[in-house]
Amino acid sequence: MLKRLLLVRGTEILLFALLAAIPLAVQSPYALGLLTLLAIYGILLIGLDVTVGYLGQVNLAQAAFLGIGAYTAGILTTRYGTGIPMAVLAAGMVCTVIGALLALPSLRLEGPQFALATLSFLALTTTVLTEVEWLTAGSQGLSVDRPPLFGLALTPRLFFWLCLLVLAVVWMAMRNLLSGQWGRAFEALRDSPIATDAMGVGTYRHKVAAFAFGSGLGGVAGALYAYNFQYLQPQSYVYELTVVLLLGVVLGGRKSLWGAFVGATLVALLPNLLSNPLLFRSFAAVGFVMALLAGVRGLLRHTTRPFQALAPVVATGVLVLGSFLEKNTEDWRKAIFALMLFSVVVGLPEGLMGFAAGALAKLFRVAPPPLPPAAALDEVLPATVTGGEPLLEVRALHRHFGGVRAVDGVDLTVRAGTIHGLIGPNGSGKSTLVNVVSGLYTPTSGELMLHGAPLPRGSLFKAARAGVARTFQNLQLFTGMTTLENVMVALRGAYHLPLPLVLAGFGRPEERRAQAEALALLELVGLGGEARTPVKDLTYGAQRFLEMARAAARKPALLILDEPAAGLAHPDVVRQVEVIRRIHARGVTIVLIEHHMDVVTSLCDVVTVLDGGRVIAEGPPDQVKRDPRVIAAYLGAADPAPGGTGPAEGAPAAG
Amino acid sequence: MPFSIVAQIAVSGALMGLVYALVAYGFQLTYATSKSINFGQGELVMVSAFASLTLINLGQRLFPALPLGLLYLAVVPLGLLFGALLGLVVERTAVRLALEQKSEGWILLSIIVGLFLFSAAENTWGRDDRPFPTPIPDASFHLLGVNVTWREVSVLVGVLAIMAIIETFKRKTLLGKAFEAVSADRDAGELMGVSATRTVMLSYGLSGMVAALAGILVSPITTVGPTMASAMILKAFSVAVVAGLESGFGVVLVGVALGALEGLASLYIGSGWREAPGLVLLILALAVRPTGLFGKAVIRKV
Repeated sequence: MLKRLLLVRGTEILLFALLAAIPLAVQSPYALGLLTLLAIYGILLIGLDVTVGYLGQVNLAQAAFLGIGAYTAGILTTRYGTGIPMAVLAAGMVCTVIGALLALPSLRLEGPQFALATLSFLALTTTVLTEVEWLTAGSQGLSVDRPPLFGLALTPRLFFWLCLLVLAVVWMAMRNLLSGQWGRAFEALRDSPIATDAMGVGTYRHKVAAFAFGSGLGGVAGALYAYNFQYLQPQSYVYELTVVLLLGVVLGGRKSLWGAFVGATLVALLPNLLSNPLLFRSFAAVGFVMALLAGVRGLLRHTTRPFQALAPVVATGVLVLGSFLEKNTEDWRKAIFALMLFSVVVGLPEGLMGFAAGALAKLFRVAPPPLPPAAALDEVLPATVTGGEPLLEVRALHRHFGGVRAVDGVDLTVRAGTIHGLIGPNGSGKSTLVNVVSGLYTPTSGELMLHGAPLPRGSLFKAARAGVARTFQNLQLFTGMTTLENVMVALRGAYHLPLPLVLAGFGRPEERRAQAEALALLELVGLGGEARTPVKDLTYGAQRFLEMARAAARKPALLILDEPAAGLAHPDVVRQVEVIRRIHARGVTIVLIEHHMDVVTSLCDVVTVLDGGRVIAEGPPDQVKRDPRVIAAYLGAADPAPGGTGPAEGAPAAG
Repeated sequence: MPFSIVAQIAVSGALMGLVYALVAYGFQLTYATSKSINFGQGELVMVSAFASLTLINLGQRLFPALPLGLLYLAVVPLGLLFGALLGLVVERTAVRLALEQKSEGWILLSIIVGLFLFSAAENTWGRDDRPFPTPIPDASFHLLGVNVTWREVSVLVGVLAIMAIIETFKRKTLLGKAFEAVSADRDAGELMGVSATRTVMLSYGLSGMVAALAGILVSPITTVGPTMASAMILKAFSVAVVAGLESGFGVVLVGVALGALEGLASLYIGSGWREAPGLVLLILALAVRPTGLFGKAVIRKV
């Protein structure tokens, strides 16, 4: 525990203490200017990393938010004499709001469309800053005086300390945010947006919040930037700056505060690097040697593709050649950025800090803090008594895909406290039915009621919030996380603390309680010993059990299990029947889609059989199995064989 | 404002809009086969225009007697070939690795390659704008009360001709059908013996060619310079997103509409606001219809 504290927190404290001490020793205004810029870029890049790193989206708008923040603070100070603290806060808030407004439309789609929307926003911002001359003074530029802080004139040294302080606060707030439920949600939505929604976490709202937050940090950095340079021009916040910022995040290492810091250092030093030939040549040479070594190593061990190994060598080689042949490195600035970025993106995708973190983790093995004891199951999933009243009612439900009527007028009542089986041959509409109930698909027509109230339609997230939890036929686990974290993401009613308190670092007790609850659920499915195991190291069977624990963490009224036994070996099937019984014993109503007839027979109170998108039979399992229509549907017999007992027990039904 | 001036600006804008449509069509070609687009496409437009200009200048120096018309006819195919080669370079350096890793790294990488090309062009050909010699006369004629220049007509003809040729190629030839097969279902195409990688290469080659044609058509009107495509490319993005990245001829309608709209915006609001309509439209389109006006909704599967 102590070792962990020393290594992790100690290095951070040391870093900030060192940075704060430099101005005491170095008096040069030039060096001080660089340090200030470093702190400002640090804030900016931490903000950018939220979208680029944690959401995994290419965000080209951060330079725009730097500009908007700078102009907000500049205009407030020059027109209304606003002081620094208020102006910085205002700049942060303005950018948060604008960021949210931009994110609302643009985060509905991912990838290229998002990048395009942010790029357009950047261009639009430059246009507005240039054209709205009565407010921004247009391309003439806006001079901003640095107002005193609480009556104290801010010397360059004091101003640097102020920026460093803001960076430290942002750093801590970010760490607190990311080490809790928010950080897990970001991780989860990159791994599986569908499961994130189905666990009631809300992919879209988290993405919007994350983008708004990152933009707000851009605004804070912008305000400090305005007071640092004291002269603002719309042309400063253009495409090239955005590319340089991306270079910083990617080179430093995504998803890492240290990475953002390393990136900021590089971005702040870049102009010096380019203007000093010796420095630039040595930098290029170091890059070339690194690329060469890494490339050769990767090729020999067959861990990288030839292109991945060779391309960075070529790119850095061109850089070295250029650094010796070309005198005007300033003119080739963009090409140099491009070559550097290219080598890093291709050869070192996880960035310098990602690479260093991997190496350091091997050197110093720091045990994670011990887990709390598991909570009592009665606290996590209180046993409820249910009286068999209708819980889920489906009336005349249709879901068509073009001309295909996957669900074609289904009526179904699931009674509280039962295990309700849903069987039928492949393509009979079982999966579509539960996809409609759980909100993945919007019904074409028909009614859905839960507890007698209409169930939200067409939204996994809203259906999950209403009390429907589900597992997936094709596993949808959050593969980048541990077993415990997978359950913690889904845990309902565990996180109440308002965001400001989380940012301030008061989320610890809540985290411990969530860990204890999640551990209890893992024990329920027999994974208590695997809490720290990364999901991708779990066996296939264990992954299926984990999906059930995660769904149970929603404390659902209705739990839908979509072919939980598919692909399981026999011993695991037996265990799974036991686990389903245990969850059911807590009073959870279960809808079970299953092809193993013995599982269905031993668990279900009622079975509904679908064929061709319609209900063809319903009743107790034994009765349904003898139903001639069911046998015909499964075996395709024109006339049911006399005295037949349906598919043999234990044999998986068709498909 | 007299109606004739408004009509004049709208028509000129609409003809420029065809260039946006052509570049946007280049995005659609690559998006169809690989769900990726080249964020540095503007640089392909610009570098191809510069390369064609160099070829024309070279031709004028080597064969001073040759009429410009013949020289132009000889250079255009070479310029298109150059654009296609650049498209292949982009595919190899920026796209293929990311597609193999099923990542969206191509967004960043194509931006990077574009940035490199921009810098290289800036240093090779200089930062100044240069005229592009063309045999097409600068004269204009009257059509229903509106002045139309022959160069604008050449844009109209060139854009529609190349789109018609490529669409015919996709429908009538075996290679084109392979292209369509991979667009519809990459895996199924591979199983049928169509190499998806080669098809993606083909689409990037075609896309580069289309970008080169856009550069050659537009440079006589706008002059050639490193920044000639920076504004154009943003509008081409808007056209592609608003029309939908999947729809063939929707880009023409949206491109023409956007071109007219921005002409009117600079007339009524101020010339500095020329870019604004496209940018606002793009963000709005994402809000209202993320798949574009002519796009199809996709069904999520689990």
